[in-house]
Amino acid sequence: MFDSLDISASALVAQRTRMDTIAGNVANMNTTHNEKNEPVPYRRRFVLFAAGRAGEDGGTAAGVHVEKVESDPSPFRIVHDPGNADADKDGNVSYPNVDLAIEQVNMMEASRAYDANVTMMDTTKAMIASALRLLA
Amino acid sequence: MFIDEMVNQGATPVIEQTLKFTSARQRLLEEDVANISTPGYVQKDLSVSKFQSVLRQRVAAADEGPRGQDLGDLGVDVENPRSGIMFHDGNNRSIEELMSAGMKNALTHNLMIELLKKQFATMELALQQK
Repeated sequence: MFDSLDISASALVAQRTRMDTIAGNVANMNTTHNEKNEPVPYRRRFVLFAAGRAGEDGGTAAGVHVEKVESDPSPFRIVHDPGNADADKDGNVSYPNVDLAIEQVNMMEASRAYDANVTMMDTTKAMIASALRLLA
Repeated sequence: MFIDEMVNQGATPVIEQTLKFTSARQRLLEEDVANISTPGYVQKDLSVSKFQSVLRQRVAAADEGPRGQDLGDLGVDVENPRSGIMFHDGNNRSIEELMSAGMKNALTHNLMIELLKKQFATMELALQQK
């Protein structure tokens, strides 16, 4: 029964990674340059979950893992701002395709899922503890 | 064997089977909660009613048979509950149902542990001739 705690632990890691991705999106919601300082806006990222724990029994062990972090192909937000240094010939500036409302909802979902897994872990821990008390 | 007969008397085999069931079910429930956001994941569960009906049959059969026999492997299979799925990928993201099932399962487990403790205490008392 001890290894069933690993299932919830794998979900905690996955949901935290999801939360990190969301934090990255919100932090970069107005970033118009990439890391090489080229005028390429930040592209929203999102995680894809897959069943099974990565790296254990060839990924078949019960649990969940982040399979990959994808880039959102949706179009950038165009703002007319001719005075901006990044404006194109029409005076438009491309901003990242990050929607704060979507990120907020995803963040709440990740946070609730994290809570649910912590509760599940707590319940299992109580079960193990009561079984161990049989010995005393 | 004397020890087998002593350990497998009364409600102990039933408690043992229930504990095996609740441990296995908790594992599946944890897996379901862990995969709540996984696209295409199909939930797994063990049916409580099926377990109870198999257990009832085994207990009735054991009452007929020789004393001190354990109930053996009940063989309740893992199921994929399909009722009330509202998502096209087949993952039933019903966190409330999963959490309440987890809670009920844990309570049953803890109740069985308490009963087993009482059984052992009684046995100990008898062994001490008190």
